[in-house]
Amino acid sequence: MTPGALISLKGVTKVYEIGEDQKVHALRGIDAEITAGDYISIMGPSGSGKSTLMNIIGCLDTPTEGIYRLEGEMVHEMDDNQLASIRNRKIGFVFQTFNLLPRSTALRNVELPLIYAGVPVDERREKAEDALKKVGLGDRMDHKPNELSGGQCQRVAIARALITNPSIILADEPTGNLDSKTGVEIMQILVSLQEAGNTIVLVTHEQYIAEHANRVIKLLDGLISDDTSN
Amino acid sequence: MFTRFIENLRIAIFSIFANRLRAMLTMLGIIIGILAVTLMGTLISGLDRSFEKSISFMSRDVLFVTKHEWFGDEDWWEVRNRRNLKPEYVEKIKNLSDYVLAAAPLIARTTTVRYRDKSVMAVQTNGTTEEYLQVSTANIETGRFFTAGESRSGAPVCIIGVDVAQELFENEDPLGKKVKFGPHQFRVIGVTEKQGKFLGLFSLDNRAIIPLGTFQKMFARRGWSQIMVKVPAEFVSEAKDELTSVMRRIRGLGPRDRNDFAINEQEAFRSQYNTIKLAIGGTGVFITILSLVVGGIGIMNIMFVSVKERTKEIGVRKALGATPKTIMSQFLLEAVIICGFAGLIGLVLSWFGSLVINRFFPSTMPVWLAAAAFLLSLLVGILSGLAPSYRAARLHPIDALRYE
Repeated sequence: MTPGALISLKGVTKVYEIGEDQKVHALRGIDAEITAGDYISIMGPSGSGKSTLMNIIGCLDTPTEGIYRLEGEMVHEMDDNQLASIRNRKIGFVFQTFNLLPRSTALRNVELPLIYAGVPVDERREKAEDALKKVGLGDRMDHKPNELSGGQCQRVAIARALITNPSIILADEPTGNLDSKTGVEIMQILVSLQEAGNTIVLVTHEQYIAEHANRVIKLLDGLISDDTSN
Repeated sequence: MFTRFIENLRIAIFSIFANRLRAMLTMLGIIIGILAVTLMGTLISGLDRSFEKSISFMSRDVLFVTKHEWFGDEDWWEVRNRRNLKPEYVEKIKNLSDYVLAAAPLIARTTTVRYRDKSVMAVQTNGTTEEYLQVSTANIETGRFFTAGESRSGAPVCIIGVDVAQELFENEDPLGKKVKFGPHQFRVIGVTEKQGKFLGLFSLDNRAIIPLGTFQKMFARRGWSQIMVKVPAEFVSEAKDELTSVMRRIRGLGPRDRNDFAINEQEAFRSQYNTIKLAIGGTGVFITILSLVVGGIGIMNIMFVSVKERTKEIGVRKALGATPKTIMSQFLLEAVIICGFAGLIGLVLSWFGSLVINRFFPSTMPVWLAAAAFLLSLLVGILSGLAPSYRAARLHPIDALRYE
C-alpha cells in the first residue's frame, strides 16, 4: 500500500448467491488505490459491477474476499455497527435520487448525520446552516424536499454529505435525475469541493460527466479494464 | 446517546401524528384492555370498601347460632325438619360455656309501624334481651336501651332505627312518643345510631328492637330466630368448638347424631364474598388479557406496515450512520408511545367510568392500579414492537435504499 493512500483495495471480490448453486460474480478481483484529494470517476456499462464497487467503497457492503482499507481501518472485517459508524464519520453520500427524508426540512435533512454522531443540537444546527449556505441554499433551509427543485434537492444532499467533514464523498450518478443545465451546476459544485481538498468518487455511465475527474476507472465484467489519469 | 434518543422520540411522535387515524384505530384494543383492568379494579375496590363497611355491623368475636348454615350446602329436606331454636337456650349456654361473655336471642318479624297518620312498612322488628347491646354493634344515639326488668316483664317499650325515627317524627323528638306495631302500642325509649345498608341491599336502620318477653306476648312465636354469643376475640375458634358441644348437649344429641344447628361467624360472609370477588376479578383478568393480546397483535401489525412503508427511509438513515440498535429503538419507541398513549386514554376514560361506578357504591380508582395499568400498556408496546423493529434493524442498507 502506497503511503498516503486514502483507500486501498486488494483482490476484492463480491459474489451474490441467488438461490441454490447459482452465483453471480459481481466483482472478480479489484486492486486499486485512491489518494486523498483525488477526483475519480468509475465508469462502466450496467452489470459491470460499478454499483457493487461503489457500495463496498461506501461501506454499505463488505467484500466476499479481499482487503479494503479506509484510512488504515480494515473495513472488510467490520460488523454492522462498525460499518454504520465508519459511514457516519468518513463517507458522504450523494445519490441519484437524492434520498432526502420527504417530511423533514432541508436543515433537518442536513443535520441527520450529526444526530447519529451524537452532536448536540446547537452545534449541529450551526454546522448545518453553514453547509447549506455553502451550497447556496441559505434562504431555503426551512423548505421540505417537495418544495425544492431537483437541483436544490441535490444541493441539500451535497450539504448533508459534507457536514461530517468526511474522508470521501461518494456520488452515484448525481446528475442522473437532473436536466443538463442543473447537472452542470452540480458538477461545478463537486469540482469546487475537490479544489477545496475533498476526495470525490463519482459513479457514472456518461462520458462527459466522467471527464470532470482527473482519473477515470473503467469496469467491465467485474474487473478493471482501464485506469487513466488525466 | 441522548441526542439519538431525542431524535427517535421526535421521529416516533411525528410518525404517529402523520398517521393519526391509523394510530387511533390500533390503539382501541389497548384502550379497551386498560379500561377493563382499571374499571374491574375500581369495582372490586369499591366492593371491598362497601363490604368492609357493611360487615362492620357484625363483630368478628360474635358467633351466631342458627338452625342452618348461612352459606351452607346442607340438604334442604334435612334442614327443614330441624327443631326451632328456643330463646331459653341462652341461659343454658351461659351456664354451660366457659368462653361466653354475653349472649342474646334474636327473633324477628316485619311489621308496619305507625305514628298518628304516618306509617313505615316492613320494619325489621327484633325481640331480644338487654344483653343485645353487648353482642351487637348497634349503639344508642338518644334515649336508652331497655332494662333486664323491662325485658323480663314484657314492657311495651321500643328502640327504633334512625330511618324509622326520621320517617315518623321528622323534626319531633321521638322519645316518649307512642307508636303502634300493628294493634299494639309501644313507647319509644331510644333511637339507634345510623348503621347504613348491608352490602347495599337492606337498611340496618329500618328496624325496631323490643323486649323478648313483649315480642313473645304480642306476636306469634313463629319466625326465624338466632342466638348471638359474644366470645373473647382471641379464642373465637376454641369458643366455637365449645359452643358446638354445648349446643349438642342442649339439643340432647347422641354421639352418632349429626348437628341439627349451625354456628356461623363473620368469616362465613367473608369467604362467601371472597368467592364472588375472585369470580369478578378472574373474569376481569381474562377480559383484560384477551383485549391486550388482541390490541398487541394490532400494534404489531401496524408496526410491520410502518417498517415496510419506511424501508427507504431506514436505508437512508442507515447509510448516514444509524446503527441497527438505533433503528431498532426508533421503531420500538414508536410502538411503546402508541401503547403508552392508548394507556393514558384508557385511564382517562376509566376515570370517568369510575365516577359512574361511584354512584352505585363509593369507590375510587387505586393509584397503584392506574400506575400498574400504564406500565402494562408500555409492556404491551415493547412486546408487540419487538418483532417489527428487529426486522427494521436487520434490513440491509443497500436493499433498503433500493426499495421503492
